[in-house]
Amino acid sequence: MFKSAKKLLKYGRLTQSFPNKPVNIDGIIGSPEIDPLRCNGCGSCISRCPSNAIVLDNLTKKAAIHLDQCIFCVLCETICPMAAVKMTDKIELAEKEKSKLRAETYTVLDNDILDASEEVLEEELKRKIRKMFGRSLKIREVDSGSCNACDYEINGLNNPFNDIERFGISFVASPRHADMLLVTGTATRNMQVALQKTYHATPDPKLVVAVGACACSGGIFRDSYATTNGIDSLVPVDVYVPGCPPRPQAILYGILKALDRVR
Amino acid sequence: MNEKNITIIENLIDAMLQQLKQRIGVALGKSDLVNHNECYVNIDSSMIRAGAKALGLEYGFPLVSLFANDERAFDKSFVLYYTFADRENGILYILKTAIAEETGAFDSICDLLPAASAYEREIKDLFGLLPLGHPNPKPLVFHGNWPDLAYPLRKEFDKTKKLPFETKEMVFASVEGEGIYEIPVGPVHAGIIEPGHFRFSVAGEPVINLEAQLYYVHKGIEKLCEGSSIERGLFFSERISGDESFSNSLAYCQAVEKIAMVEIPERAQLTRTFFAELERLISHLGDLGGVCLDAAYGFATFQYRMLRGWAFRIAAETCGMRFLRSINQVGGIRIDFLLGKEESILSQLAVIKKELEDTVDIVKSNSMFTDRIENTGILKNKVAKDLNAVGPGGRASGLPYDVRKDFPYCSYDEIDFSTALQKNGDICSRLQVKIFECYQSIAIMQSVLGTLKEGEIKVSVGAIPAYRCAFGMNEGPKGETFHWLMTGEQDSIFRYKVRTASFCNWPAVCQAVRGNLVPDFPLINKSFNLSYAGNDL
Repeated sequence: MFKSAKKLLKYGRLTQSFPNKPVNIDGIIGSPEIDPLRCNGCGSCISRCPSNAIVLDNLTKKAAIHLDQCIFCVLCETICPMAAVKMTDKIELAEKEKSKLRAETYTVLDNDILDASEEVLEEELKRKIRKMFGRSLKIREVDSGSCNACDYEINGLNNPFNDIERFGISFVASPRHADMLLVTGTATRNMQVALQKTYHATPDPKLVVAVGACACSGGIFRDSYATTNGIDSLVPVDVYVPGCPPRPQAILYGILKALDRVR
Repeated sequence: MNEKNITIIENLIDAMLQQLKQRIGVALGKSDLVNHNECYVNIDSSMIRAGAKALGLEYGFPLVSLFANDERAFDKSFVLYYTFADRENGILYILKTAIAEETGAFDSICDLLPAASAYEREIKDLFGLLPLGHPNPKPLVFHGNWPDLAYPLRKEFDKTKKLPFETKEMVFASVEGEGIYEIPVGPVHAGIIEPGHFRFSVAGEPVINLEAQLYYVHKGIEKLCEGSSIERGLFFSERISGDESFSNSLAYCQAVEKIAMVEIPERAQLTRTFFAELERLISHLGDLGGVCLDAAYGFATFQYRMLRGWAFRIAAETCGMRFLRSINQVGGIRIDFLLGKEESILSQLAVIKKELEDTVDIVKSNSMFTDRIENTGILKNKVAKDLNAVGPGGRASGLPYDVRKDFPYCSYDEIDFSTALQKNGDICSRLQVKIFECYQSIAIMQSVLGTLKEGEIKVSVGAIPAYRCAFGMNEGPKGETFHWLMTGEQDSIFRYKVRTASFCNWPAVCQAVRGNLVPDFPLINKSFNLSYAGNDL
């Protein structure tokens, strides 16, 4: 008893100040960046990228990276003959629109475009929802077919270093109690029904955050008989957090972004 | 492996083959010794039961893997590989049986060797070969949504093809009697864990039977690897199971390096040893914290989480990633990760060790916690042996197996360490094993950092010969990681069979739960801490 109390006194506060201060570890690997001045469009990274995340930009004839598909494996940096690719330490990568993570723009079909008035209404509604959840958010995590690394990183949000509860955010045991679904994995064939049922069991209004390359786009497991290319083919997604796996701070940034609590 | 050892192993294999020949007669075909200790023996499919009985029961070699390979392109048949491990002498015996396509069935051996049951069901689902006489040939991989007569691992199956959904009822083992009821749990669980469905049959409080339906995270990794380049395969192997990223990629590299016949430089071997132990430390600290969390012992949970955070910090500082990915490369390691960081790591390890000692001291003096974990979730030695339970789960039930000792790899034959062993098989024993191994991992990492000399970190690997096969194996945090790789033309993969420790240990969990209270299930499950992804692939 006294020994436990001694420990509690010894380690008063371990929680880091992220997102107010950046992560204080040197050399962490974040998103890759291609220097357009150096890239000569030779295409060796394009053909060897394990998750086919690199494409040749039709206009500039340079390589460009789909961050939602990227698995942060460092191969492109290792093999680039022009040393044009560099792994940065950027981890705050979460975006609300998938197109911002893509190197090229999506082809938008006519029937995808909403009426302008609907668009304004939708944005207004979403803003209200985000405001409502601002200071108290309950999250249900759903693994729809990950390799478990993303799940361990979400678990890491509860450790003393990240302590997500300081934001008024906590994890709950049932989707019925949740405001947000934090989904990892590719939505495998066997999990599709479970994911959809979980989504419908969550009371409206709700937010969905896709965590990791698999949930954003299928990642390295794209185009398999047993997977889907991202969970947004099954449920609507509010924020995409790329990474393989994203660090706990990157996930935290994504959750806060969904709530408009970070820029 | 030195010349003397090679001769000893060859003599042992010759003696064994002669004994088998006497027993089985002409059905035993020609044998082939590859990679110094993998003995492939052809056997006629009619005599497979006799072969399995001899090796598995009479000699007591555990069945460590059983898989099929679609070799119709060469000799119009599927080939089954029954892999038995002579752990004492470090030899693998592989019985190879050809199954003609028109036969499409083979004799089940799971009444002789219960460990074969899950493998045979997997072969049935993925290859469409029927195990004749299997007591429970229930679908394993697909949950009633998969069309009949579609078998993903057959070569003609298009890996990108998405087949229509079907709805077939899944039948669970039913237990009948007065007052018995079922509790269905999952696939979406209350905690932040992976998906799986558990069906408890319960009478009052104690669990009478537990049936686990897994494969919710089946992504088709084995099929995706087929035909892809050897380089790409490495990234798949890193993503088989997150917290075993390093041991899986190591097993993959070991297999490729055996086929390419390259010798890995000493510094790379030592660095690999370091990261393998770091992964074990991170994983075990997580498990210890997890059990404390499920027992609602908050203080200890946060102590272990803090320790795990510190261990993760070493990982992030050395390789930039918390999950030890992009370290291994076929032929060595990617860059010299430990260069100039020795001092910093040693001081961090010293802090972790001191804090772990204090924490264990406090946890062991908590009688309520001890009461909860002692004699709970006992995995009996006989059951563990029959199911080939591996890793800390097996060692806590008195099975002294450790790949680091039995099939030494990296630098383990030069490092002095002992195998953790407990007899009781309960949660407490598993935690004891893990605590012991945490200290051991720290000691091994310290010794590696002490002996590290300057040198090369990788060798270049040229073209890799086609249609060769090799096993890659190592002791991951959860136990024996066992991969088999067959290369294809132009540096591609022909077949990649992954068997992680979790595949062996899941049936053991179901056995260990029997007779315990339902609320103790999370603790028992966490004390094994198996990977769903590593099982489902």
